Amino acid sequence: MGVSAVPPGAGGQSSRPDGAPGGRGAEAAHLVDLMSACSRGHEEAFSELYDLTSSRIYGIVLRVLRSADHAAEVTQEVYVEVWRQAARYAPEKGSVLAWMTTMAHRRAVDRVRAVTSEVVRDERYAATESDRGVDHVWEGVEQTLDVERVRKGMASLTAIQREALTLAYFGGYTQSQVASLLKLPLGTVKTRIRDGLIGLRDALGVEA
Amino acid sequence: MSEIHGASGSYVVNALEPSEQVEFEAHLAGCDTCGPEIVELRETVSELTHLSAAAPPPALKSQVMAAISTVRVLPPEAPTPDSAAPASQIDQLALRRQVRATRILSVAVAAVLVIALSLGGWVVSLVQHQAPATATMQARLLQAPDLTAHTVTLKDGGKGTFLASKSMNRAMFSSGDLPALGPDQIYELWTLSGPLTAPTRVTPDSLVTGGATAATWFTGPIADSDAVAISIEKAGGASTPTNIQAATAL
Repeated sequence: MGVSAVPPGAGGQSSRPDGAPGGRGAEAAHLVDLMSACSRGHEEAFSELYDLTSSRIYGIVLRVLRSADHAAEVTQEVYVEVWRQAARYAPEKGSVLAWMTTMAHRRAVDRVRAVTSEVVRDERYAATESDRGVDHVWEGVEQTLDVERVRKGMASLTAIQREALTLAYFGGYTQSQVASLLKLPLGTVKTRIRDGLIGLRDALGVEA
Repeated sequence: MSEIHGASGSYVVNALEPSEQVEFEAHLAGCDTCGPEIVELRETVSELTHLSAAAPPPALKSQVMAAISTVRVLPPEAPTPDSAAPASQIDQLALRRQVRATRILSVAVAAVLVIALSLGGWVVSLVQHQAPATATMQARLLQAPDLTAHTVTLKDGGKGTFLASKSMNRAMFSSGDLPALGPDQIYELWTLSGPLTAPTRVTPDSLVTGGATAATWFTGPIADSDAVAISIEKAGGASTPTNIQAATAL
């Protein structure tokens, strides 16, 4: 179960993805079909959608929240929302996975910021995080072709791009927090995050 | 490239502060280049989740399936052109009208946000991701034909925006930049009747925590109020204001 099963075409990292946005055409197209069935109330399609996506969704929520209990709760909220909104998913605005991971990351980040709005995040912990660099982020990750592909893409970025992007996305920090963690001007961080994503986009051959 | 475009990366990784997010989303609504870039960058960001993949606890699936079995799938916002059954002439017209109305509406909302921003430099992200019911209520307030936005600077230097609609009889206070208060203090909202200088009625309303970003609904009726205000009071709130920080006529 899960998306670690190698999707068609995942091995050919130099080949341009075709079909639906996000590439790996056949799997992406299958997810669109499942969403369409969900929009008509088919629970068995939703069950398959869950099996195909839950490790990606739960994983990113867990990475941001760093609490298995919170992560399970937020993941459940995300899936209920995916079900409710199934008929409002529009393929022309992006792949199913991008739609779902956007929603999941947003909710995880909202949870982190709500919980820490009174108590500012432990800066010492954050500082340790950034001192350790970013490599620990994917320690112990199952070695799949996709992981390898994305890891290579990340490795093609500059250290600052990678670090800024990692703190923002996996750390759930705002760009201002990233700026103060890295002791860089806000404008620089903003640029590095964007440049980093554009570099990654080109390395991965993502097309909209 | 203008500076605002440069926020697209931070936007897709949800790294903007609420005020920055409002600004960017208002820009996004009218920018032809940012839209496609956002779609591409979202696809890219989505790939990053390969690096954090983790199997959820096995029990989660049955909980999710049980949860969705009680939830109704929302109808589509507008029928898609490729929907199975061919639409009749009338449906097509209705659809086009609906699409146009939605577009005008979103432009109007963006315009209000831009005005609010240029007035006070600050308004909380009204498109922030909240409980759906609240979000819908917010959307309705934002789309109210008689919506007014009043950005105020508090005596303590904080900033916030009152958003009010008399036709909806609701108002909201967006606290974007309120200083944190001591543990025994809190911000309190008020509705007033009569002139601001000599109100005939002053009614306590919701409490707002300092130092946080939040949108707080007024609970009291707005249709028959002439002004709203915010004060600092002892924790728990007061029945009459003792330290008014800002007020504005509606």
